[in-house]
Amino acid sequence: MTTLWDTTGTEVVRALAEERGTGGGVTSGLALTLVVVLDEKDTHDVEAAVSVAAARHPMRVLAVIRRQIDAPVPRLDAEVEIGGRYGPVETVVLRMYGRLALHAESVTLPLLAPDAPVVTWWYSETPTVIAHDPLGVFADRRITNVIRDPDPSASLRQRAIDYVPGDTDLTWTVITPWRAALASAFDTMHTPATSVLVKGNPVDPSAQLLAGWLSSCLNLYVPVEKAEGKYISSVEVRFGDDYCVTLRNDGYKLIMSRPGQMDSIAPFPNRSTGDVLAEELRRLDPDEPYAQALGAVTGQHDLNSRPPTRVHIWKDPALADQEA
Amino acid sequence: MTADVSEQETLEPTTPAASAPLHAPAGTPAATVRNPLRDPRDRRLPRVPEPCALVVFGVTGDLARKKLLPAVYDLAHRGLLPPDFVLLGFARRDWGDGDFETVAKAAANQHARTAWDEDVWARLSGDIRFIPGSFDDDAAFDTLAKSLTEVSEAHGIKGNAAFYLSIPPALFPTVLQQMERTGMASEAAAGGWRRVVVEKPFGHDLPSALELNNLVDDVFGAEDVFRIDHYLGKETVQNLMALRFANQLFEPVWNANFVDSVQITMAEDVGIGGRAGFYDATGAARDVLQNHLLQLLALTAMEEPVEFTPEAIQVEKLKVLRAITLPSDLQTYAVRGQYDQGWQAGERAVAYTAEDGIPAGSTTETYAAVRLGIDTRRWAGVPFYMRTGKRLPRRVTEIAIVFKKAPHLPFSHTDTEELGHNQLVIRVQPDEGVTLKFGSKVPGSMMEVRDVSMDFLYGEAFTESSPEAYERLILDVLLGDSTLFPRNSEVEASWRVIDPLEQFWANHPPELYRAGEWGPKKADEMLARDGRTWRRP
Repeated sequence: MTTLWDTTGTEVVRALAEERGTGGGVTSGLALTLVVVLDEKDTHDVEAAVSVAAARHPMRVLAVIRRQIDAPVPRLDAEVEIGGRYGPVETVVLRMYGRLALHAESVTLPLLAPDAPVVTWWYSETPTVIAHDPLGVFADRRITNVIRDPDPSASLRQRAIDYVPGDTDLTWTVITPWRAALASAFDTMHTPATSVLVKGNPVDPSAQLLAGWLSSCLNLYVPVEKAEGKYISSVEVRFGDDYCVTLRNDGYKLIMSRPGQMDSIAPFPNRSTGDVLAEELRRLDPDEPYAQALGAVTGQHDLNSRPPTRVHIWKDPALADQEA
Repeated sequence: MTADVSEQETLEPTTPAASAPLHAPAGTPAATVRNPLRDPRDRRLPRVPEPCALVVFGVTGDLARKKLLPAVYDLAHRGLLPPDFVLLGFARRDWGDGDFETVAKAAANQHARTAWDEDVWARLSGDIRFIPGSFDDDAAFDTLAKSLTEVSEAHGIKGNAAFYLSIPPALFPTVLQQMERTGMASEAAAGGWRRVVVEKPFGHDLPSALELNNLVDDVFGAEDVFRIDHYLGKETVQNLMALRFANQLFEPVWNANFVDSVQITMAEDVGIGGRAGFYDATGAARDVLQNHLLQLLALTAMEEPVEFTPEAIQVEKLKVLRAITLPSDLQTYAVRGQYDQGWQAGERAVAYTAEDGIPAGSTTETYAAVRLGIDTRRWAGVPFYMRTGKRLPRRVTEIAIVFKKAPHLPFSHTDTEELGHNQLVIRVQPDEGVTLKFGSKVPGSMMEVRDVSMDFLYGEAFTESSPEAYERLILDVLLGDSTLFPRNSEVEASWRVIDPLEQFWANHPPELYRAGEWGPKKADEMLARDGRTWRRP
């Protein structure tokens, strides 16, 4: 590991090249560059998540920690490491002080792996408007996680307003097992569903997205009814008047009940943030079903037909403070 | 791929094939179209088969324990089995459900690729049944048929069942007759799909293959027979099609104008293991060349299929297999060998004829190398060198495309002394990946050109751990996707290549080679005669 104090972007690029030369070529083929925007206090959680995802995706990780934006003198500290705490990846941890935080892209741009897709992940605190953060502007895929925001439901609505193809949210990724189970329940049905009810927490973004997905696929109004638990506890699907399929989450199991048949039980693993991140990095093209579900939740239409690029909008917190 | 298939399937109701079954094969892409929750753009959702039963004959055998049961567990663990799934095991053991479950659990636990999860097993074991009986016992088959009907109702599997014949081919007629007698093979009676899975060997020559194919196809219908060639389940083999047909870079040079020769190698470092009886009656050519190597050759040499569907790919593979020619001079260009005693990886290895269960005077080959040609415009004049053997220095399977040398080199002869042929090597196993070998200047003040290689390692650049071949193939059987399974016409075309070789070899004793070496001298001479050498994999 190389640690650089009060350094410049050029020095960091040189240090990375040196580490690559002496590090024995842990990763010669890079699939992507992951830019993680995090707070110092989240370092441990992010390391754990990235090391899981890194086992499946060879990548370069640029961890950007913005500190003391009001510090009088801008400064850059960096750690360059290959195959360390972040797993079998090339990692550059960048700590940016003062006004440099507003120009983070000036440090990260020369560090991106050549011609490989760039994914930016805000571990916490999603920017209200992604175009305000240059780290989101040059990314091909942007991953947010509204569940870590103070008001996740409001944040999810904001994600729809701010949506551009290539955005996804981890509250969508976590419901993939639910969606897979529902899709296979529908495989054997040859009549259309007449009503669907999601039971869970009506303000949980995942429950809302599941309902939104079902309603966009089935052209039905799908309500979220309050039930025990803080996420999704069950889904009821009615076909005709008397045939009702119920899927319910029971710890690590998913139980499907149908009239006249034995309950079927499927494993429902508890996935870590790393597993979810790994799923997210598997495909780097826009996720149209997510956009449809998000649109259905928030009443925003045609999210998929928005232009897929963002233009950086300059927003200076110092000016905003003055205006306030 | 999903999009193409669904498009084709939606057309189907207007053009029904005469032999199409009356029931709707749900779970095949036709049902995917009807399911409003399945969107081809939604690539996060896994392909999950519809409710079904998997019936394994010979479930206590080696293959079932080492491959099938672990693969079923892995599928369950990855969430790729349908919520309604039943595994019925049939074998000649006096076991109850509980005894079998213990054995199956041990097998799955020991050989599974994914992490062990007691909950997943608990769920799966609830859906496992064991039916004891011998294959000529009518009562046992009646019990099996009854159990299948019972679980069909209780588990909602709607009559869908796949039968895996993990038994010696000699027993096929008995088992198939039993299935016919009890009506288990009939889709009309079951009200769902019925499929059968058979393992190699698919016969031991053309007449026996025809007989076997007719037998199985009569009972099940040719469309419902899945022949497992586990090589085709490997990620790199499927990648061969992506490499060729998804890229602009390779296809223009993939022909006799640019290719000098092709070498396809499947080497094993092990001896014959515990398969003495089977192996001595079979030999390397029938065991490996007839199926794995010719399938690799077909995928390497075939024309582009018009679409990525099982039928279209099969058509192209069959064209290549039928265009294969044997050299007229078999004496020189078809070499068979047998390993003698020697040293391998630091250990003493006995001669083939000294292995347990092999008669001392056996003339079965453990090594086969042959030069094949393909009579098409694309490949005319390009030799395809195929070789396979046991007790070779290392275990490796690869396809090497050796390109011609540049027609003119502006450098002096001494500058390019170390420059060989450009090569594109597809490493099937181990270290799955692709290597491109080309000339590059050696740093320094002199103009010197030397071969270097550029490497793509599958496990490194890719994003997902590739599933075990059996896992992928069992899933495809349950989904009804026959892309990766050779059809009977391919098997027959392959025997047409092998039979003349076997006839020729019948009167020629195999050449001896020392265990731990790259085959007999005569195989090296065969390439030397053409001015080439074997690539050391």
